[in-house]
Amino acid sequence: MHPLVVQYRAVVVKEVRQTARDRRVMALITLAPLMQLFLLGFAVNFDVRHVPTVVVDRDKTAESRDYARSQLAGDTLDLKAEVSDELAAEEALERGEASVALIFPRDFQKDLLRGEGAQVQALVDGSDPTRSSVAANAVAQYAVLRAMQMAQAQAQAQGETPPRSPVELVPRVLYNSELSTSVYVVPGIAAMLLLIVTTVIMAMGLSRERETGTLEQLQVTPLRPGILMAGKVTPFLLIGLVDVGLALSVGAWVFKVPLRGSLTLVAVATLFYLLSTLGVGLLIATVSRTQQQAFVGGFLFVLPAVLLSGVMSPIRAMPDWLAWLTYLNPVRYYVEVLRGALLKEAGLGDLWRQVLALAIFGFMMMAVASRRFQKTSA
Amino acid sequence: MASTRVNRRMGRILAMAGKEVLHIRRDIRTLYLALAMPVVMLVLFGFGISFDVDHLELAVVDQDRTDLSRELVRQVTASQEFVVVQDGTSPDEAVGALRKGTAMSVLLIKKGFAGDVKRGGAQVQLLVDGADGNSATQALAKAQALVEMAGRKLGGPVRVAAPPLEARVRTLFNPDARSAMFLVPGLAAYLLAIVAVLITALTVAREWERGSMEQLFATPVGRLEIVVGKLLPYLGIGLLQVLLVLTVGAWVFDVPVRGSLVALSLGSVLFLVGMLGQGLLISVVTRNQVVATQVATMTSVLPSMLLSGFIFPIENLPTPLKLISTLIPARYYVATLRGVLLRGNGLDVLWPQLVALALFAALMLVVATRRFQRRLD
Repeated sequence: MHPLVVQYRAVVVKEVRQTARDRRVMALITLAPLMQLFLLGFAVNFDVRHVPTVVVDRDKTAESRDYARSQLAGDTLDLKAEVSDELAAEEALERGEASVALIFPRDFQKDLLRGEGAQVQALVDGSDPTRSSVAANAVAQYAVLRAMQMAQAQAQAQGETPPRSPVELVPRVLYNSELSTSVYVVPGIAAMLLLIVTTVIMAMGLSRERETGTLEQLQVTPLRPGILMAGKVTPFLLIGLVDVGLALSVGAWVFKVPLRGSLTLVAVATLFYLLSTLGVGLLIATVSRTQQQAFVGGFLFVLPAVLLSGVMSPIRAMPDWLAWLTYLNPVRYYVEVLRGALLKEAGLGDLWRQVLALAIFGFMMMAVASRRFQKTSA
Repeated sequence: MASTRVNRRMGRILAMAGKEVLHIRRDIRTLYLALAMPVVMLVLFGFGISFDVDHLELAVVDQDRTDLSRELVRQVTASQEFVVVQDGTSPDEAVGALRKGTAMSVLLIKKGFAGDVKRGGAQVQLLVDGADGNSATQALAKAQALVEMAGRKLGGPVRVAAPPLEARVRTLFNPDARSAMFLVPGLAAYLLAIVAVLITALTVAREWERGSMEQLFATPVGRLEIVVGKLLPYLGIGLLQVLLVLTVGAWVFDVPVRGSLVALSLGSVLFLVGMLGQGLLISVVTRNQVVATQVATMTSVLPSMLLSGFIFPIENLPTPLKLISTLIPARYYVATLRGVLLRGNGLDVLWPQLVALALFAALMLVVATRRFQRRLD
């Protein structure tokens, strides 16, 4: 056997033994991502439902009561309490006990029946903008709906055909027709967990060897630095691949994430992605003296990388300068490959740009990291 | 007599704290990182996390090619909520763009559209990429409204009576609906949770790894004194971070401080003590830095993000997770911060949150100290 292969095998064996010796570490790199996937898959949900609502009915007529009942019958607003006046309603909002107050002014029924611009008022707690806009829309849309129903009833009573809109929109949703959040979020989470596990563990593992002095011992052996690094990376590469497999199985099984596209494409993209994340981990290890520094450095990379990837919030909602930064982020490309391949059955023809970007990142990171590594070992 | 004992005890605690300060000073890079990280993250998160999408990429397939159909497209894209990225393509190419991700919706205008408009009752189709459910829902609602409005204009002047009914919505606390207002308080709690738990977990685990913890046990310093002394300097760093984050929040994102400062400081101290105690407990149990970071990530970093109401409202969580969230101190701290900063609450409203934070802090300190003792034997 070629002496380099012998060296490489020796390092891999040493690295595997060292990692496998601490069972807790093994458990953490395999089980922890799965637990997190469960947690995240269930917690991440953008639906706004059951917003607690108080009602102030100053009219106390059949119309106002019926209006409130039908409005609160929907899924969005839930009746929390009836309060006597606006002041009490505002207080409930201030205390955070309710997020919406629905107010019927006096003469609501009279104005409504005369067709004289009857008003429903609503106070909305705007602290959470997503939630408040959904709640405000629910109130506004219900008023429009109610007005339309009244107009139609009136037209029918007078024997006319009710007016209809000249252009109608017929929507059709492709790929995730139930608009389920978890189907979209789970691939993103898989990418994020992979990043956390590989970057941080790689960076800390290497700094640990430096801290305890075993790295020096390795450096006085005839091992070549390049071989040493390749041997160190290999086990984590395999662990990462296994983690992706586990995450996708759980995603398919628990969260019904479809596995539509080519799994080979996913595997190749994962390999390039892991090269970049492990490369970053190595790079961080070469500039840190302690495990603590390596960890903080890892975190400083991981948090913005997750944030600017489209995993948490859509890239198109970012300001332009931030959206541009996402092009420098391998996580972005990997998430696009995962979502495209899994949800939309996109193939290499659709995703070659992303795969190419991942490959460039992966090899560049490894090249830079190994140069730094050789310099610090020399 | 008693006072000298107290004095000695204070002296030993201060000595421990002094030793810890030396550690921190020797590793000044970590301190800089610990202070810079929350600020950088705050700015990135504050600008980066937003769920309001506009400039939705639209591919247009116009098979009618009349003035009316072109006018419809113009009307729909006039407000910049939709931006045309592809025009005049075949339906297949447009669906290809959806698959590639270059477009997220397709407006399909069939032949004969103009004639149908004049007769009343024309239809246009909208294909939406549903992969991102949240964006898709918004795209559907926006397109519905835009087409409805455009339709009225195309169909000629329709007699529209004044609406007999109107909803008037007034938004309190954050009337401009800025995401940053909502996220900054939650973010502050999240970043503090990360830094407090992780840094303590790491520093103490390091002492176990290097064996200097045994040396400490050989000195006459008691375990409670070790715990309190070790935590004091980090409490100081944590409070500095709170100030920094709130200042940046006020300065960059105009997040106000409307409510009681007493509640704010009390909540911050209690939360920090709880998180530092948790970090200590983790390090006492794991005694290994790599394991400590992973355990800290799972028990504090992730729950503080997901189960605290920071991004995802607690009432949307499935029941088991909702129950778990009552054990997460970040939940109470996020509520305290939002109450003070956005709603102007005081102690009278926020006391239950503060009690919960105090309970958690006390529990963590007691358990961490007890675990310390067992290891001594």
